[in-house]
Amino acid sequence: MRITENIFRIFVLIWFIAYSIAIIYPLIWLAMNGLKSNSEFFLNTWSFPKEPIWGNYVDAWNAGVGKFFFNSLFVTAVSITIIVLLGSMAAYGLSRFKFKGVNVFLVIILSGLMLAPQVSLISLYKMLQIMGIYNTYWALILPYVAFQLPFAIFLMRSYFLAIPKELEESAIIDGCNTWKVYLHIILPMGKPIIIAAALLATMNVWNEFAFALVFIEDSALRTIPVGLMNLRSQLNTNFGVQLAGLAISAVPMIVVFIVFQRSFVRGLSEGGVKG
Amino acid sequence: MKSFQNTKSALFYILPAFLLILTFVFIPIIFNLYYSFYSWSAFNMDGVFVGLKYYIKLFKDPVFYIALKNNSLFAIISILVQVGGGLVIAAVLEDKVIRRWQPVFRTIFFIPSVISIAVVGLLWQLLYNPDIGLINEALRALGQSELAHAWLGDSKTAIYAIVAMSQWQYTGYIVMLFLIAMHKVPGEFYEAATIDGANRIQTFFHITIPQIREMILVGSMITVIGAFKVFDEVYIMTFGGPGRSTEVLGTMLYRAAFRNDEMGYASAIATAIFLITLGLSLLQMRLAKSGKED
Amino acid sequence: MKSTRILLLACLSLLLVVAGCSNTSGSKATESDSIEIKFLHKWPQPEFSPYFDEIVKEFEDQNPTIKVKMEAVADEPMKDKLRVIMGGGDVPDIAFSWSGEFARMFVRSGAALDLTKYLEEDPEWKDSFIQASLQPFESDGKNYGIPLRFNGKFFVYSKEVFDRYNLAEPTTWDEFLVVLETLKTGGEVPIMLGNASPWASIHYLTGLNQKIVEDEVLRKDYNPKSGEFTDSGYIKALEYLKELADNQYFNKNVNSSSHDMASQQFLVGTGAMMYFELEEFPMIEENIPGNWGFFKMPDIKEGKGNQNYITGAPDGFIVSSKTKHPEEAIKFLKFLTSKESAEKLSEQLGWPSPIIGATNKDTALEEVANGVETLKDAEGMAEWLDTDVHAKIADVYLSNIQLLLDGTKSPEEIMKEVQAVAKEVQSEAKS
Repeated sequence: MRITENIFRIFVLIWFIAYSIAIIYPLIWLAMNGLKSNSEFFLNTWSFPKEPIWGNYVDAWNAGVGKFFFNSLFVTAVSITIIVLLGSMAAYGLSRFKFKGVNVFLVIILSGLMLAPQVSLISLYKMLQIMGIYNTYWALILPYVAFQLPFAIFLMRSYFLAIPKELEESAIIDGCNTWKVYLHIILPMGKPIIIAAALLATMNVWNEFAFALVFIEDSALRTIPVGLMNLRSQLNTNFGVQLAGLAISAVPMIVVFIVFQRSFVRGLSEGGVKG
Repeated sequence: MKSFQNTKSALFYILPAFLLILTFVFIPIIFNLYYSFYSWSAFNMDGVFVGLKYYIKLFKDPVFYIALKNNSLFAIISILVQVGGGLVIAAVLEDKVIRRWQPVFRTIFFIPSVISIAVVGLLWQLLYNPDIGLINEALRALGQSELAHAWLGDSKTAIYAIVAMSQWQYTGYIVMLFLIAMHKVPGEFYEAATIDGANRIQTFFHITIPQIREMILVGSMITVIGAFKVFDEVYIMTFGGPGRSTEVLGTMLYRAAFRNDEMGYASAIATAIFLITLGLSLLQMRLAKSGKED
Repeated sequence: MKSTRILLLACLSLLLVVAGCSNTSGSKATESDSIEIKFLHKWPQPEFSPYFDEIVKEFEDQNPTIKVKMEAVADEPMKDKLRVIMGGGDVPDIAFSWSGEFARMFVRSGAALDLTKYLEEDPEWKDSFIQASLQPFESDGKNYGIPLRFNGKFFVYSKEVFDRYNLAEPTTWDEFLVVLETLKTGGEVPIMLGNASPWASIHYLTGLNQKIVEDEVLRKDYNPKSGEFTDSGYIKALEYLKELADNQYFNKNVNSSSHDMASQQFLVGTGAMMYFELEEFPMIEENIPGNWGFFKMPDIKEGKGNQNYITGAPDGFIVSSKTKHPEEAIKFLKFLTSKESAEKLSEQLGWPSPIIGATNKDTALEEVANGVETLKDAEGMAEWLDTDVHAKIADVYLSNIQLLLDGTKSPEEIMKEVQAVAKEVQSEAKS
């Protein structure tokens, strides 16, 4: 028994370490080649840079990555704030209130989960123009919020349902209104799932591509994914700087995820989301 | 609990989110249907009614069938690798021999899915490069140089190359979803099974899978719907080429709208995407329900 | 579709209040005393954009009441982006456009302003252009575009490699084939081609079509209203290109490598030749100074087309028909194409200018000046195939040419598809 266990463990370790290398090595290669000059990149693609050119990273930042970075940061921050606020309110409303038609709201909101954003691409493109917000930050924020809300509400509602109701009942008896219950009981108790939902939405919003490609025309407003595509044709003669730009853009989300991954897993595992 | 029966205050909480979703998710679908009956272009907004012309065109368009085939390929491979393979990986990560390493591995596996597709796509374009790319280099190092290949440049392999990249990116995401579900399976179930003398494979099939069935449904829905709305990967890596070999519904839509000045046709393609994803979601929910009744 | 728009507006304005969002479209001029014109070009690259910054600044200094809001989108995304933008509410007053069909598309839809009047009013301005650069922007005898630079396509070769094999610049296609065979036998890659974005090989085909197909037939076919593409010359042109690929005169895996990547490889020493645009000459000189030469696409004896054409086209600007400030837009364009600015263009960017006398040996690289001379001597220009035919036909050519090079599709099959689409385009253009 012992021996087979050990063999199994070694086999699994080799398998997972190989898989990990397949993930990490390309990323390190990317960061490393961001330090090379063009000719070194083409002639010695696989070796360490002989004389690392740290300036590539500075150049990439100045060539636009910095600007795209702040656009992404702004769009993501505003979107996530709205998603967390409106999403938790709706989840609270749908998990606590009883009235005719509550199920209609629930079904409509949750069926938003199944819809592909591409379906709305053309009509949104036109709608945003008519609304006069085409080519502004709002042209991204509002659709992002709308498309992320269903999943956030789905997650938060199941979690809120599992929060014991006794606390709220005594609070109401003490004279609290529903807003105070939301603010002082639901939000603090729902923190793990709110963090998890916010993290998932952040990932999706930060990386969104199709809307950002069509709804923004101004290069001053572009977010990272589309900005990087433009940078590719813009820095067509300098691969080192291009790769440095890619590396810079990948780092923040990796860091955010590593920092929050524990609370992310906890939020989702503790919740009432059925396994 | 009177306060929770007040419809007005309920609407105060629900309506803002509901209206946003209605306006930006549902209304565009209705408008899209309407637009698909008109011939119009980006700089010529006043359209002419053409009836079902674009739907007929769609069914006659050979590219539509290439796209359908590629989207299906995406769906099938993703189900096998991400859902099937993801289940196995998650189960092994939960196994006691490796459990204490789980946080490290699950974090590493998840990393690709937090990186922007623009970064991943441009990176993999270089990895697939026949002259300087890592993939061919690795094959040569393993002594398999006859397998070295222009992966993205060959119309026969390009779509598989893109699908493979997508597996690299998203398998860890699905693994994470399964792990979360598995955490919730009560430990006693496994203890009981061990006492009964069940081995790993038996517990996997008889306890793990039935216990996390709902998450498996969610996971397959995410991957299958994801496979039919794929756009970014193809747009960035090949834009449908070489030839039309990697065309998917998403790039077909974009090409019709912003290259060929056929917004009406693009709307018709969008309607097709809508119907396909809706049909698949309903089908999967049905399957899940009938599975429950057993 | 008007009633739906009003309906939509009504239900959306309601929502905007709910979402607490304000209309922050930042591009509208707020002060009434200064006029803002929006200027869109296609050179965001760090080596080019300073020139435009400088021109705009000088212009604003001279005209304190006019503000120029500049925007740049690179070449590849420009084709779709321009359509997205022209459909948007915030149409640029001055926008980049290729000449030929690409510009005519905007003319047909009424998006481009007729500039004939402004050119006629100022004969001095009109006469300062090399005529061949204005003509490609004409439609039905009217001018719709103002050229900024000339561009032509030439084979650039490494002198070192040519010397090693004792080769001379070929002038006929047969000589060209001999050169290629010699290089191949010697173990060199004769021509580098990066065809991941297929416009690279379409530029070959642009010249081949021009040289092989009769002029009149070509003109008839490139016009969306009468295009048929039934002449056998089109198949022959594809066969010429296929022959280059079949004989392995190109690098391997042309469809996997981008033009940029291939040119970097050429500049670090892979390959003997590459097909470059005049605008890329300064970059070549910077990397391999003095070690290169160039020649135009060799003549094809059996070709029925005019051999004295050069592949290339002017790049320029159109003015939006929706502009509120046509006078100011023209003023800026005049400034942009003044002799002073044009000389600066040649000096700083190394680009060939369409302004007579601006690109000479004092202002530009010798090779560029020579290139412009070649363009001037040419009887006309074969404009880029992918912007000179209707977008749908271009799309068929672009996607199929990759399959031609990797051997999956034959020239006959491709032309059949082109003919089918041409028919579709024709019926749409007539209705």
